[in-house]
Amino acid sequence: MAAHAKAAQQLARQLFRMSVVDGTVSAERIAGVLAFLEKNRPPNPVVVLKAYRRLVAAEIARGVAAVEHAGAVDEAMLGAIAAAMSRRYGRPVAATATPNAALLAGLRVRVGDDVYESSIAGQLAALASAV
Amino acid sequence: MSTVLEQIELEIAKLSNKGIKKNTGIIRTIADGVAKIDGLSDVMYNEMVQFPGGAIGIALNLEEDEVGCVILGDIANLKEGDEVTTTGRLLSVPVGKGLLGRTVDALGNPVDGKGPVEVKEYYPVERIAPGVVVRKSVSQALFTGIMAIDSMIPIGRGQRELIIGDRGTGKTTITIDTIINQAKINKVGLASGDPKFRPVYSIYVAVGQKNSNIVRTLSALEAAGALEFTIVVAAPAADNPANLYIAPYAGAAMGEWFMENDMDALIVYDDLSKHAVAYRQISLILKRPSGREAYPGDVFYLHSRLLERAARLEGKGSLTALPVIETLAGDVSAYISTNVISITDGQIFLETDLFNQGIRPAVSVGLSVSRVGSAAQIKATKQVGGKLKGELAQFRELAAFAQFGSDLDARTKAQLERGNRIVELFKQPAFSPQPIELQVAVLFAMQKGFFEPIEIRKVVDAANSLKSFFTTRKEALLAEVRTKAALDKELEAKLQAACEEWKVSFAP
Repeated sequence: MAAHAKAAQQLARQLFRMSVVDGTVSAERIAGVLAFLEKNRPPNPVVVLKAYRRLVAAEIARGVAAVEHAGAVDEAMLGAIAAAMSRRYGRPVAATATPNAALLAGLRVRVGDDVYESSIAGQLAALASAV
Repeated sequence: MSTVLEQIELEIAKLSNKGIKKNTGIIRTIADGVAKIDGLSDVMYNEMVQFPGGAIGIALNLEEDEVGCVILGDIANLKEGDEVTTTGRLLSVPVGKGLLGRTVDALGNPVDGKGPVEVKEYYPVERIAPGVVVRKSVSQALFTGIMAIDSMIPIGRGQRELIIGDRGTGKTTITIDTIINQAKINKVGLASGDPKFRPVYSIYVAVGQKNSNIVRTLSALEAAGALEFTIVVAAPAADNPANLYIAPYAGAAMGEWFMENDMDALIVYDDLSKHAVAYRQISLILKRPSGREAYPGDVFYLHSRLLERAARLEGKGSLTALPVIETLAGDVSAYISTNVISITDGQIFLETDLFNQGIRPAVSVGLSVSRVGSAAQIKATKQVGGKLKGELAQFRELAAFAQFGSDLDARTKAQLERGNRIVELFKQPAFSPQPIELQVAVLFAMQKGFFEPIEIRKVVDAANSLKSFFTTRKEALLAEVRTKAALDKELEAKLQAACEEWKVSFAP
């Protein structure tokens, strides 16, 4: 069972590597991979596809700066955030904005598994854990 | 007025702009105190990670697309999908004298209900052991207060001496006796005002023990007045395996603080068999490859990196380690036992048969050894007990042969009689360590034949009578033995005279 899971993970990683072109996931390649899997079913197709999905999702998330904000955020600010993150990670990063009133004030930017917290809610949480 | 408000607003704005970078991950699976986490791409090996609800984890498995973490603390409220963040810190515990007299958990949090611990410093739980350049050879004695050990298997400051035996053979008792003895010596030494006196502080790490046993140990230490010089690190059987795994390293960090700050410390790991079992459990859940007896491949390193942290440092203090291993049916050749035997500087082997025969402490002279040898003994003990180990070994051999026949020559009979007397003399009740000067006096009396005319079954009474005679009537002589630490002709004459005086007063 463990050996099957390991083999599925390895296959998913191989497929993922094939889906990346110049450091970013290519929609065409993903379509090709899915078509290949449709024709040639691996032993654990669900496990392989789930692992493949996780890897692709993580890669896509690395190219997106998801900005949560309480209060107004204009296009110029989003552009500045995208530029700053692109510089920091050495790859093109696009910025998307989502309002989140729970932050009270400020921003939270998520790029991949990095989170840049500059919100009142974050500071209050830090204060609460320090007390 | 508006300027003041502007200043406050500016301060708020400054705070509001202060961004914090966190690296996060998501719990994918959680079972038996181990979580598999997606993300955490920046996490370091052994880094503390923050779980929701205040629980802390340690990143132990850094794999290609997941991180395996052991969780210290309550895992009841954690679930799949919870966010986890890195802290950028390695696991650290509070250290310092503020911990003396306290009982703490594996993370250094007090569990004795005596309020918060007053500490200023923190040491990382995992540290590289001191190298060869900074180490000094072991040459200063650490008295256990147990005559059989101090005279035949001496332990020095900075040594690692394993205590090994089956369950219920008195392993913990030996360690508690040693801690009590350090406290007794500390009290005498500190009261004397001797500027050269170096107290020994003790750390008792209880790994996987029953809470009732830990309470019993605490009561024994408190009753003997030893708790004020002792830190107890408790990771009872009910704790999760991560706490059991980390507790000995936390104790070692606390001991290292004393060593680094020019003090001497003693650490007891009670016991490392349960520690290895906890680590095996973690490793199996982390799906690390298992080897012999299902232990992971790095189980030797688990204990070697812990015990190597005990040392005597050049120009600083020392950390003496007494690890405990529980054997099954006296099998010292089991996996974990042989590992720890090869790491330590000797072992004290306790035999079930001896224990059942009433020979307590049940030290097996043949299988016990101290690789530091007489380097860690004071001259007085060497003078009176230097040949004891050989004599007892010969006695055991003769006793084994004597079982097959009754026709023994006079010399053999005398040797057997003497051996039996030595065995009786070494019997010692639990939690009553003897000061080294008293041990010297008793061994002196034995060497000079003062116990020869006494019936074997009355030797224990005679020894007790001699001890009480010396402690009540020859206190000055005992103090002289303690300070000189060697027997010159004058001191020998005084001891001889004192023994003669006792012989007259003692009616068997």
